[in-house]
Amino acid sequence: MLDRADTPRRKLVEVRGLKMYFPVTAGVLRRKVGDVKALDDISFDIYEGETLGLVGESGCGKSTCGRVILRLYDPTAGSIRIDGVDIGAADAQTLRPLRPAMQMVFQDPQASLNPRMTVAGIIGEPLDEHTQMSKAEKLDRIYELMDAVGLNRNFANRYPHEFSGGQRQRIGIARALALNPKFIVCDEPIAALDVSIQAQVVNLLEDLQDRLGLTYLFISHDLSMVRHIADRVAVMYLGRIAELAPRDALYDRPMHPYTQALLSAVPEPDPEIETARKRIILTGDVPSPANPPKGCNFCTRCPRVMDICQSVKPALREIEPGRFVACHLYETTAAAGSTGAPEDHERNQQGATQ
Amino acid sequence: MTDTNIGIAPPESFRAAVWSQFRKHKGAMFGLIVLALLVVFVVIGPLVWQPEKLKVAEALKSKNLGPSLRFPMGTDQLGRDQLARMMAAGKVSLAVGFIAMMIAIFLGTFVGVLAGYFKRLDGILMRLTDMFLALPLIPLLLVMVMLFRDKIARVLGPEMGAFILIVFAIGVTSWMHAARIVRGEVLALKEREYVLASRAIGASPRRVILRHILPNVVSPVMVAATLGVAEAIITESVLSFLGLGFPPDFPTWGRLLYEGLEYMQLYPERVIFPGLAISLTVLSVNYIGDGLRDALDPRIRGR
Repeated sequence: MLDRADTPRRKLVEVRGLKMYFPVTAGVLRRKVGDVKALDDISFDIYEGETLGLVGESGCGKSTCGRVILRLYDPTAGSIRIDGVDIGAADAQTLRPLRPAMQMVFQDPQASLNPRMTVAGIIGEPLDEHTQMSKAEKLDRIYELMDAVGLNRNFANRYPHEFSGGQRQRIGIARALALNPKFIVCDEPIAALDVSIQAQVVNLLEDLQDRLGLTYLFISHDLSMVRHIADRVAVMYLGRIAELAPRDALYDRPMHPYTQALLSAVPEPDPEIETARKRIILTGDVPSPANPPKGCNFCTRCPRVMDICQSVKPALREIEPGRFVACHLYETTAAAGSTGAPEDHERNQQGATQ
Repeated sequence: MTDTNIGIAPPESFRAAVWSQFRKHKGAMFGLIVLALLVVFVVIGPLVWQPEKLKVAEALKSKNLGPSLRFPMGTDQLGRDQLARMMAAGKVSLAVGFIAMMIAIFLGTFVGVLAGYFKRLDGILMRLTDMFLALPLIPLLLVMVMLFRDKIARVLGPEMGAFILIVFAIGVTSWMHAARIVRGEVLALKEREYVLASRAIGASPRRVILRHILPNVVSPVMVAATLGVAEAIITESVLSFLGLGFPPDFPTWGRLLYEGLEYMQLYPERVIFPGLAISLTVLSVNYIGDGLRDALDPRIRGR
């Protein structure tokens, strides 16, 4: 992973200023009375072949983010470029030929498989949609995919209810792989599985990444699992990215107060360290995304809140090379520190997008 | 590639799987046999049983007879053979029941799926459904029949015209319940993740509906359909009773029932036979629907 960081990598996914507001309506006439700001001005890149972990508590917009990137929802604003093509405002007709490159693995393996289709039918559905294979070719491809995800070929004619959770998740992964995608959004693929199966599925995902050169957006609330699989990690809070950093840097030295609090909640396996561990306990509740605070979204619960946090939303800035933090605590250091690095980065970004 | 596939069963045919499960359902097999017997009775029966042609004087003498070898189901108040009338009546009643049910289910499912899947159409279509539900059906049917009977009869002949009109009238006035049930089901189904997965593949709404939504609304539709057959047969009887269905000399099970009603205390068999036929049809269709619903559900089929 380290050697990858040195060579210039190609950006596969570029998200800029992405906003997803769900309207809130009220009354008999269904007048719009406000917005739920599920995603509020999110920008990040995913490099080819890497895994970007996306963590955050329930309801912070992780899943919405994954779904908007695949254009399952129409974003309110912002651009999404996948492999250089902007799909942020593309219509269904333009999107269809681009769909094979980006796929999704879902959270609930029970709900993500149609109970009335056989495994062969489920895995073959993308092939029906996008290829003109003959029946025999399709069956060959289905068997190939089942081998790839470790499913017995004899299971092809069975129905989803006959499988265990882990096996169902494998079926879901096989379906996502059917069209040779480059980019897969894994929307909490292990949240509904028990721990031993989680490891199997995560290992399968890693193995497939090595073999097929896949790029993942790995959405999860399981911090230790993200630490295991991700190359870089983005932490979300209330529809905004709080911190985005390489995995080791983030876990060793979290900078945003929210990340610090989040990581302090991860239990340690060693009982001695566990008892000595100091937890940062946040007070209060997450504000409603329909009515976020005026300044920093985290200002209502932040242990290190300042005056400026109440009024100005902090932008996501590059504090150190590769480390982005949206917090006023680091704004002064960034301004006082070397000005070279962030500008370099700016230039890089522009160069890459052209 | 091919040699590694040896020993793997090719996908089992869907129809074969459904049929083998259907056969395990005792009620459904009973229903299927009874319905088949009824169909044989009304289709082949008239070819086998030729009622004797009676002169007017003979007919007057032999009216209101009980069951005998000469008249297995007795005769009516005009001395006509009840068995022959039951056969002719059944042909019409069964046809009306099934075709009207199909029209109603097709309309109901179509409206329900559109309303449930496309949010924009939801308001308009459901208000339309409410409007149809609010209309008093019998007066509406009466008006429809009164307005159109003669026009259609002129084109298609009195019997065929009446048949088309009645089937159509019953069909378009009984789809609303199916539409409501289907809409509710579709609203829940379209938020399922497999529908989302299908959209992530880039499937068009048409494919999503045909592949994921419709197979999963089969159960409630099946229930609505089986109840619909019974309802259609009864509604047809009501219409005929009110004199707005088929021409008076044209037998249907419902009409036989109503004709027999005034003689019920003297000659109960005049009511029992048509009543039994209607009940058997409804019952067998209900059981067939039940079995079909189970057979189409892989979760039950596997056992």
